Amino acid sequence: MNVLRWWWGLVLAFALVALVRVFLPLPFANEIIIFSIYTMGCNYLLGRVGYISFGQPAYLAIGGYATSFYLFYFGTNPYVGILIGIAGGFVAALAIGALFVRLRGDYFALVNLALAVIIFYVMQKMLAGITHGDNGLWFLTNMASTPVLDLSRPDQFFIFAFLVAFALWAFYKYLDDSIFGALCLATKLNDDKVKFLGYSSFNIRLSAFVIANTTTALAGAMYAVYLGFVSPEITSPARAADPVVVTILGGVGTLYGPLVGAIVYTGMKDVLSKVFGNWELVIGFVLVFIMLAGERGIWGSLEPLFQKLILRVTGKAADQSGGGR
Amino acid sequence: MMSTQLLISGVIFGLSLGGIFFLMTIGLSLCFGLMRIITLDQLLYYSIGGYITYTVSVVVGDIWLGVLGGVIVGGLAAFAVERLVFRRIYDRDLPFTMITSFGVLIGGVGVIKYFWGLVPRPVAEPIVAQVYIVGTEIPVYRLVIIGIAALVYVGIWLFLNRTIIGKAIRAGTEDVEHVEGLGINVYRLFTITFVIAGGLSGLAGGLHAPLIMVDPNMGLEVLAFVFMVVIIGGLGSIKGTLISSFLVGQVVSLGSLIYAPLAQMAPFAVMLLILLVRPRGLFGSQLLKR
Repeated sequence: MNVLRWWWGLVLAFALVALVRVFLPLPFANEIIIFSIYTMGCNYLLGRVGYISFGQPAYLAIGGYATSFYLFYFGTNPYVGILIGIAGGFVAALAIGALFVRLRGDYFALVNLALAVIIFYVMQKMLAGITHGDNGLWFLTNMASTPVLDLSRPDQFFIFAFLVAFALWAFYKYLDDSIFGALCLATKLNDDKVKFLGYSSFNIRLSAFVIANTTTALAGAMYAVYLGFVSPEITSPARAADPVVVTILGGVGTLYGPLVGAIVYTGMKDVLSKVFGNWELVIGFVLVFIMLAGERGIWGSLEPLFQKLILRVTGKAADQSGGGR
Repeated sequence: MMSTQLLISGVIFGLSLGGIFFLMTIGLSLCFGLMRIITLDQLLYYSIGGYITYTVSVVVGDIWLGVLGGVIVGGLAAFAVERLVFRRIYDRDLPFTMITSFGVLIGGVGVIKYFWGLVPRPVAEPIVAQVYIVGTEIPVYRLVIIGIAALVYVGIWLFLNRTIIGKAIRAGTEDVEHVEGLGINVYRLFTITFVIAGGLSGLAGGLHAPLIMVDPNMGLEVLAFVFMVVIIGGLGSIKGTLISSFLVGQVVSLGSLIYAPLAQMAPFAVMLLILLVRPRGLFGSQLLKR
């Protein structure tokens, strides 16, 4: 019974995502899944460790370019490409994280954004010989079709992305309930007490940083395989805030915030850019409004209502973790 | 081997760039020191300054009037944003203010796109004359920028050390509650600081506009440099901001003489090195309890 309840919210949430696939066009569904994976890393850093990162595009680009280099120059198998993207993201996050997590929160935020911009220039100008600069790398036709799930076809890619996302959410849900998850939250609230308990707050932060940014690199690798194309545009400074905006929109630190945020944000972008082509204005004001209104975001506001509803339906005092979270 | 002429023009270029960076980052640094907020929206006032300079120089024909207009409108925009948004969030923690100010920034960029469109616009240089220094042609305008930055530094220093409001602001960076206990309205201090910061960012935008083209994303383009300056100098320190902005200006300018992509990479490498040795930048303060 307990095990069942543990999975309950997860299955329900992804059943809803599957509904999105049924009722809305395929590119939209794919975009949502990848975008929510992209946001998950930022959400974990901000909600669990208390680090705000405006530099997520940097890690997205690292994953994306690692995959692209493999698929453009060396191989044809998209699965191997994604694995290389993850490995690249892991190594980069480990090296960068060891330097960055020593910094205080405010410096961390600034340094990360600077990193994103630098990666942009590296990909656009410095490595232009390899990355083809602004033209980007095109390798859609390089990818071989694979058995079981053919990643070069968007509809089968969706199934793959769906499964990956499901596994990731289960993993993050597991993390939330583990001692490590509790320690992450503890470093956010009171760093000194964590040290006092005998844990190394540096190690905790580094692990959280690596986990979050490897997730982001995975999203980058999936973007690369899905679009069959990568350009420096994915790390442009103008888009640096996207994951932060989506995190805030969905609700900081909530498990399903990134999903809700990605759906709302992508939907809003699609609809608004058709109406008056100036959707940044709206995004900016929505962001300020949410922050002033109590920073709980959409899912953060809805979650307590759902929990109340579930309690009323089941009619007994189920524990908190069994409900909407 | 670099020729002397190239070197001299490179150094002057770096100094003028450093001057612009200084004018922009001093606002960020002052606001962090006093209010403990990170105001990314300074980049918005920079863009506003640039655009007002463009519009006034086209309509009236005088660029200096445009720069003045940029300072005033930048300050007014800062005043409005402070009243509407920041007044409500001073007691929140840093990431919160940073996200909110980013919202203000991209919302403001949207407003700029609405009024002026997406096309980059050129602004004429107010002074086209050149002077010769050791046989090298130097545009006078760049020297003027360096002079203005120096004047602003002296002005800010006098303001903070010689006037009662400036002294209250300096005391506020040490301990806001004690300043409040002296019967000084700290929220008025916050407003004054914010408006000064916005005006200086507007000045930076106005002065920078003739050297680049104004376009809606101009704030985002200098963002990385502004951040590096603030990090190297240390948040909240005006002396650190001065030193690091001229350091970054020189690194950008001389780096690009050696190898063009170094213009972006070199300051970042310098920043990483300094952070390795001093995680709070050169002159960064301890985050004092509020």
